[in-house]
Amino acid sequence: MKNKADYVIIGGGISGCAIAYHLADFGAKNIVVIEKEYLTSGATGRCGAGIRQQWGAKMNCLLAKKSVEFFEKAQEILAYDGDIEFKQEGYLIVGSDQEEDMVFKTNVALQNALGIPAKRLTKEEAKQIVPYLNIDNVYSATFCPTDGHLNPFTTTDAYYKAAKRLGVTFYTYTEVKDIVVKDSVIQKVVTTRGDIETGVVINAAGGWSKAIGQMVGIDIPVYSENHEILVTEPVEKMQGPMVISFSKNIYCQQTPHGAFIMGRSDPDMPEGLDVSSSHQFLDAMAKTVTELLPPVGELRVIRQWGGLYNMSPDHQPIISGTKKLPGFYMACGFSGHGFMLAPMTGVLLAELILGKAPTMPMEELSLERFDGKQVITKEKSVV
Amino acid sequence: MRIRQHPILMFTEKQKIQFYYNGKQVYGYDGDTIASALHALGIKNLSHSIHLKRARGFYCAIGNCASCNMEVNGEPNVRTCITPLKKDMDVKQQVGKGRPYDA
Repeated sequence: MKNKADYVIIGGGISGCAIAYHLADFGAKNIVVIEKEYLTSGATGRCGAGIRQQWGAKMNCLLAKKSVEFFEKAQEILAYDGDIEFKQEGYLIVGSDQEEDMVFKTNVALQNALGIPAKRLTKEEAKQIVPYLNIDNVYSATFCPTDGHLNPFTTTDAYYKAAKRLGVTFYTYTEVKDIVVKDSVIQKVVTTRGDIETGVVINAAGGWSKAIGQMVGIDIPVYSENHEILVTEPVEKMQGPMVISFSKNIYCQQTPHGAFIMGRSDPDMPEGLDVSSSHQFLDAMAKTVTELLPPVGELRVIRQWGGLYNMSPDHQPIISGTKKLPGFYMACGFSGHGFMLAPMTGVLLAELILGKAPTMPMEELSLERFDGKQVITKEKSVV
Repeated sequence: MRIRQHPILMFTEKQKIQFYYNGKQVYGYDGDTIASALHALGIKNLSHSIHLKRARGFYCAIGNCASCNMEVNGEPNVRTCITPLKKDMDVKQQVGKGRPYDA
């Protein structure tokens, strides 16, 4: 194992791999990625594989839009020999009442102003997009045709292989136990396989990012919670877009493989690192999906699992350095949508670390935004 | 093949049940599952693998493995190894992953 590196990235999910790739792509050398299990073993490999630009908060919209632009060309940019399975058949967001329709109106206006091609639909128009949608308890909907599906495993692999070709070193099944800081200067990262001297540490540890922050005495205002999900047997294609509803608490899409992936949130889920599955989720999920998408009820459930949302106070990510400790950077608090924002996570953090002009303003992504008393615009469009 | 004689068990002749396999009229016996009736008729290929389309047959026999999934009365992905045979069932080899809903 290397005992010296210029940059140590903690976390081998999509964020860590994207940061590694973009750092190396900008010409940085001696980059090491440390992952405590295997690549995608955390939230990346457990996510719903959706790519969405229809957000209610400006930063999420911008990050998502620019990330989609990258995903559209990712196969060529990363020169990947596999298939990242980017399928742009849209996200259909359905709402239950007039109140939610008013939120849709505000959100779509914001999205359109930022160049995201979302539009409001009547429930009848929504039914034209997904013919078996039960619109009995639907009030209205929004749809963005360029949203869609992306394979988390192959996309991470694409970043990993591209980064590796540029000289990045990856250590899997290696856990960070401590980060040694002396006089506000990072000295080394202590791992289960030895120490690595470095001056720059990037915290991309997802559900474990708070603990990494604590190692250097930085309190990152995030917490983790388990979100459950299930997958059905594969069938021939019957649904193009992701169907999602915040009020009905569901997201459900059919992957290119043919399986349906669906999830919902449990409002009573305690904070913590538990990722177990429950029969309560299976029961509630089945009821929710069969009400909204009745034919999906014919399918058998193959597996269910849990994964960690790393929640920030405003449900927007923290992509930031910190004045308290130069050389310490973080990409965390994605609040359940780190996978779909990864290209911009990688670009922005690499620009910040290397002192380049940022692609977009980053004040609203900084750790310091939570310090003062400024009004926080909270992202509400989260399942 | 069916067991006719056994040292300690009795196999009395049961009632014949007529059904269809890929449109052909065939017979099983009362108490059969769809897959056991097909097996006794010498029909070993029940489905095909998703990617390489290789033949798949009677395997786990307890409804877990999906190897015996067939289209029955128009319904795809029926686990024939645990589905009791009924008169006039229309059993077909399924092409692809099945269409539970016609888009």
